[in-house]
Amino acid sequence: MNILVVLEDKSGSIHRMSQEAIAGAQQIGGECNLSIGILALGNNAPALAEQAAKYEATEVLSMENEHLNQYTADGYAAAVAQVIANENPQYVFFGHTYQIRDYVPRISVKLQRPFLNDVVSCSTNEGKPVFSKQAFNAKLLAGLHPQGSGPVLVSFQSATFSSDNIQNGTANVRSVTVEMDTGTIKTVPEEPFQEAAGGVDLSSADLIVAIGRGIGKEENIPMAQELAKVMGAEIASSRPVVDSDWLAPHHQIGSSGQTVAPKLYLALGISGAIQHVVGMKGSKNIVVVNKDPDAPIFELADYGVVGDMLEIVPKLTAALQE
Amino acid sequence: MSEREVLELDVLFVGAGPASLAGAIHLKQLLRESGQDASVAILEKASEVGAHSLSGAIVDPRALNELFPDKSVTDFPFEAEVAEEHLYYLTAAKKIPFPFVPPAMNHHNCFVTSLGKLTRWLGGICENEEVDIFCGFAGTELLYEGDRVIGVRTGDRGIDKNGQKKPQFEPGADIHAKVIILGEGTRGSLTKKLINRHDLMQGRNPQVWAVGVKELWRMSPGSVPQGYVAHTMGFPLGHNIFGGAFLYGMQNDIWDLGMVVGLDYKNPAVDAHHELQRLKNHPWLHSLLEGGEMIAYGAKSLPEGGWFSIPKLAVDGAMLIGDSAGFMNGQRLKGIHLSMKSGMLAAETIAEALSTDNFSAAQLADFELRVEKSWVKDELWKVRNFHQGFDNGLLAGLFNSGIGLLTGGRGWGFKNRISSESGHLKMEKKAERDRYNDLHFDGTYILDKVTDVYYSATAHEEDQVPHLHVRDQDVCTTTCAEEYGNPCTNFCPAGVYEMVPDGESQKLQINFSNCVHCKTCDIMDPYQIIDWVPPEGGDGPVWVNL
Repeated sequence: MNILVVLEDKSGSIHRMSQEAIAGAQQIGGECNLSIGILALGNNAPALAEQAAKYEATEVLSMENEHLNQYTADGYAAAVAQVIANENPQYVFFGHTYQIRDYVPRISVKLQRPFLNDVVSCSTNEGKPVFSKQAFNAKLLAGLHPQGSGPVLVSFQSATFSSDNIQNGTANVRSVTVEMDTGTIKTVPEEPFQEAAGGVDLSSADLIVAIGRGIGKEENIPMAQELAKVMGAEIASSRPVVDSDWLAPHHQIGSSGQTVAPKLYLALGISGAIQHVVGMKGSKNIVVVNKDPDAPIFELADYGVVGDMLEIVPKLTAALQE
Repeated sequence: MSEREVLELDVLFVGAGPASLAGAIHLKQLLRESGQDASVAILEKASEVGAHSLSGAIVDPRALNELFPDKSVTDFPFEAEVAEEHLYYLTAAKKIPFPFVPPAMNHHNCFVTSLGKLTRWLGGICENEEVDIFCGFAGTELLYEGDRVIGVRTGDRGIDKNGQKKPQFEPGADIHAKVIILGEGTRGSLTKKLINRHDLMQGRNPQVWAVGVKELWRMSPGSVPQGYVAHTMGFPLGHNIFGGAFLYGMQNDIWDLGMVVGLDYKNPAVDAHHELQRLKNHPWLHSLLEGGEMIAYGAKSLPEGGWFSIPKLAVDGAMLIGDSAGFMNGQRLKGIHLSMKSGMLAAETIAEALSTDNFSAAQLADFELRVEKSWVKDELWKVRNFHQGFDNGLLAGLFNSGIGLLTGGRGWGFKNRISSESGHLKMEKKAERDRYNDLHFDGTYILDKVTDVYYSATAHEEDQVPHLHVRDQDVCTTTCAEEYGNPCTNFCPAGVYEMVPDGESQKLQINFSNCVHCKTCDIMDPYQIIDWVPPEGGDGPVWVNL
């Protein structure tokens, strides 16, 4: 195979950003005539492999090992590095998740191969992929042309590709094994934090309700949380809300917070300072509610309402509940 | 529990700006010539050399020529030789050329320069000279033995916003050296402590500062003449605020557009950032910048006081150089060559002190004698009353500096020294609030502060104690709100200070992660209760070509 996509497990199914990486592999593979393999690993590997086998790919690799039943950075790095060394793909694709940020740099060092992380778009030039990364605080895009035969490790930012574009097909599943012993794993994992398990990984959320200074006071926060709950959305915010300690820092979107690109971003009482906008401008649909018709956020809006979020949110919640 | 590391050195410079870099290079040259050796290091709070360097700048190559006798000006990392120069008086709609460019503002044989490029280049030479540059480490305390400075403590890392240690806590290191040279730049935090503790401003005029704000504009290819220089007076500041604007043509079709505003204005509503935005509304600049894109922003205060505001330069174990000491020629709008020369003169004193192993104040005072005998004194003496002349407005200032040309710098034609007072004392308790009513922030041409700040690429670890210490925040909501209308929200060019609703009242919010390390707040606060201290090392702006 030429491209190996490494999956991340999300409670027994394929992580949305891994699906996006598959869609990316299919697109680039099509344009550059490269074959695709998909690697599932961990205790849910059979389930993930079964799901992946329904996608258009050359083959699916499934890897189980007692040392991989629980995620550890050293264990995953050792195992995936061995698969890469054995299969020798030109490119290895990942979604740019927290887990990938944790263990893939180790593979890069182990194999002495480059890791192009947080890639935001991909094009082709003379039959070869060109990966674009943000540089200088997202002011510039740097096009990276990998030289030589590879493998080159690449992780994609959320929504670089759309999982809607994934092509279905059938792929054979092949079991692969790795040599691992207890000495490889030097870390002892604990249970995932409740918040991580509870799903505040905003970068993989489909729907986000984001609140800004327009929320006014802490007592109004539940109003937004209620709306998010009804929508099945994650709650996020711009900086002032976090500065006031009304939400925890990991809810912050923007240059000093997270970068997200959900299908729907509902911006409530957010003015749209550039520091916030760089964290959400890739959202597919942006709906804005703001009192100030001159607020810069309206320039990004697909739909905008000039009005007080404190009046509109309860009505919206009530309407959705019906 | 981690132990505090102690490092023993011979010579430690604080701040990798032009003064320290030139000083360290010159010291290594002198030691090599005399067959001595010494360990020399520079502490730098930025993540890399140059990331906190900002200036106009037009550089007089005099100090560089002396430092590198084997090199020529074509070897230096300048943008371009000054090719044409203009001096304009602006009204809101017109620009009126001065009939001639006065000799003091003649930039013949000078070079348009990015200070960040110059310091990065000097930093490379330092490394070849085996000077250790510790980037990402800020000096936060001076270490004393009695009244003798024996070292610098660097800042702790990993303290959360409540002052508690985080898991990655790392205590700062103690760097001991035989002599500490403070080249921290303008209003250095250690410099401030040193000056206060040893009363180094005694008998001097108080330092007066200005703040410079600048934007870099990228234009279409071929549209920016390299080496073009224009300075302006008049609009938008008017006659009662010291300062003016500059426009320099850089390489790669970039305009350097900046505004200098004296930090001795009366109206508390004055906002240097907003003045720069107003300037762009002038039809002349509008036509020059049309179609361009703003790509970088920064701000820095600068010492304008001149010769009479330079403090005593040496104490036991420590010296002051560069902007920390106030080596700036306000009339020529230049200080980089003076800063570098001050560092080089300090190096000569240090080389002697090393050979006699004597670092007492008396021995280090040799530095002051060297300054007295050098062209630094010649140059600054002639303009010693320049800034003070502007206390009575633009026309009086121009008259005074004109007369000064004929009398060798005497104030009003006869006074050897015009005294002055600190700029913040001049602020009046009534704001003219409507000064910026005509500004409409459009997000692409007329930019609000937070947008500009974004282009300074400044970043700070969020979970730390804010590095702007406001000693009594009750003053903000009571006295200051009434008397001055919270001028910090105006004079900070990075939107660090904000008054936000707090129930029925208001409270001060310090957006310290916006800070671009210009020190204006420390200087201009009318109550002098703001203390700028370094944040965690490596934090702050990431300037490339400012």
